[in-house]
Amino acid sequence: MSLNKNFFAGVDVGSLAAKSVILQDGEIFATGLVPSGVNSVESGLNALNLALETAGLKKEDLTYIVGTGYGRVSAPYANKAVTEITCHAKGTNYLHPTVRTIIDMGGQDCKAIRIDKDGAVIDFAMNDKCAAGTGRFLEVMAGVFKVRLEDLGAIALAATDTVPMSSTCTVFAESETISLVARGEKPENILSGIHHSIANRIAGLFSRVGIESDVFFSGGVAKNIGMKNAIEEALKVTIVKPEIDPQLIGALGAAVLARSFSKKEGLWA
Amino acid sequence: MGLKTLEKITAALTSRPAELEQLRKQGKKIVGWLAYNIPEEIIYALGLIPIRVGQGGDGRLVEVGARHISTKNCVFVRQVLGQFAEKTDPYIKQLDLVAIDATCIQLYRLEELINFYFDYKTVVLGVPRNFATKEGHEYFRKEVEHFTKKLELFAGVSLEQSKLQEAINIYDGIREAIKTLYSYQSKDNAPLSWRDVSAVINAGYNLDRLRYLELLQELIKEVEEKTSEPQENQAIEARVFLSGSLIPPGDTKLIDIIEQLGGRIVGDDLWSGLNFFLNLEIKEPTPFGVADAYLDRIPHASLPYLDLPTDGRLANLKHQIQQFNADGVIYHTLRYCDAFTFKAGETKDVLKNVPFLEIHTEYSGSDFEAIRTRVEAFVEMIKNKKEIAELV
Repeated sequence: MSLNKNFFAGVDVGSLAAKSVILQDGEIFATGLVPSGVNSVESGLNALNLALETAGLKKEDLTYIVGTGYGRVSAPYANKAVTEITCHAKGTNYLHPTVRTIIDMGGQDCKAIRIDKDGAVIDFAMNDKCAAGTGRFLEVMAGVFKVRLEDLGAIALAATDTVPMSSTCTVFAESETISLVARGEKPENILSGIHHSIANRIAGLFSRVGIESDVFFSGGVAKNIGMKNAIEEALKVTIVKPEIDPQLIGALGAAVLARSFSKKEGLWA
Repeated sequence: MGLKTLEKITAALTSRPAELEQLRKQGKKIVGWLAYNIPEEIIYALGLIPIRVGQGGDGRLVEVGARHISTKNCVFVRQVLGQFAEKTDPYIKQLDLVAIDATCIQLYRLEELINFYFDYKTVVLGVPRNFATKEGHEYFRKEVEHFTKKLELFAGVSLEQSKLQEAINIYDGIREAIKTLYSYQSKDNAPLSWRDVSAVINAGYNLDRLRYLELLQELIKEVEEKTSEPQENQAIEARVFLSGSLIPPGDTKLIDIIEQLGGRIVGDDLWSGLNFFLNLEIKEPTPFGVADAYLDRIPHASLPYLDLPTDGRLANLKHQIQQFNADGVIYHTLRYCDAFTFKAGETKDVLKNVPFLEIHTEYSGSDFEAIRTRVEAFVEMIKNKKEIAELV
């Protein structure tokens, strides 16, 4: 294949997954998604290598790489590091220019982000130190019910009732869930309660930054249909359907910024 | 930045504990004080040595303090209590009396505990909640009068008007000098940073006040000379204004993060920072004159004020943001520092379009990375306005 030198990559190393996107001439050329290990440099490289392999490229073919996610601080393969907040804004704007509000739910935090028409961040808020409303929280809950993480949302949608869940702390919610199971509540009804309690917590974040349509849901948890529906209900909004895997949005934004930074630095005209 | 006077201030601070030891041997008495409304002028005018106490940023001392107070008290109060419990701080171990005002009710509690558990002589100065009213002023006048009488008894002398005027003149000089230094540090070609000025303020609370004033005047002269040298500064800056709970000496976590990520702090309205030196005009050298002047200052967030459009704290914040040409506000709240935490939402709403980031933290390193991400995104957001927005 003939190689155009203008390939840009974004690598997003999160707490649960590492993601990469390679852009060529404004189009998504390849992507990679792998579970994060204990070594964040290795995780990022694994994700990048997967995308490179899919694209039939070598690392040297990339003009510029931007690292993001919590692993951005140790990404020696990247030319620059940018926070995931800025990257989710850029990635969302790149695919969905009408979006003004983003809910990003990742492995260990969730964010409410407001952006302008150019994808610049206007305001944002993040959850506090605890893991409530994150992928980790849902992972713990999937463990309690012994179901696959990816099935959690669909099970919740089968609920005939929503059992109120008062705890948002992961540890307390786990013990509350076990008590509810012991009391004979149906798993789907408890899971519906769990999703709604997280959604209400997210609504609290938006009371600080506000909501403007259109609204987008990014991050790994965005693939959970039960969570999407609960958030739509809590925020009284309709979430824009994602064009790609919403877990890749941060890496996409990083690749978009890689393109911009390299142009600014005169690496291509 | 190589300012000789800063080195002199550091040297003076290093030798201060030993100097105090000598002064005590000569019969001088040291009054440790804390909070926002203690009229230091009166302490000084009575021939007593005022030293502001209290440090932050040490998780271990917070735990020591928490043995004597609820963990739902703010981390600063817990740490200061820990300092009194350990008595290893070179100033705290030399105090003959501790004066605390009740602006913040948690600090008032601190006064009770150091008296009860650690046998410190204490004096408390009541502060009215209804500070903006005539009744509030009358109450505070009586409180300052009462406070003065207690100090007179402790010092063994009566307050002389001429001595009080002398003290007021020194403190007025210090206040003016700090304001001048703040205006210099925010300039493009500043030879000293906000962090430097903050260190100078903290040093001053321990030094002899007359000597401190001389050092400040010397520093201003040196800064003036250095500022006149042209310096190139083309880089796009994220000019950050700090607001919220106090940032006492020793608590550098947020400041370090902001600076490491390329943000530049250009101003603050902290009660541990510039606010303490603003809008204090003592019209007559009497306890009543001092009381009125202190109560008419920019109010502390611990005091309730329910009319946002006329709230002096918010008006001052808006004014300072403009004066220091800040791009955004980082509103720092300490865990269980309720006064500032409760007021974060309205402060953001009042500032409307000014980029605003609340950082809720405590004296431990566990949230370092989480704060780092927020501050980094905030700095990016500010720089975006000036730079990255053009790129995409």
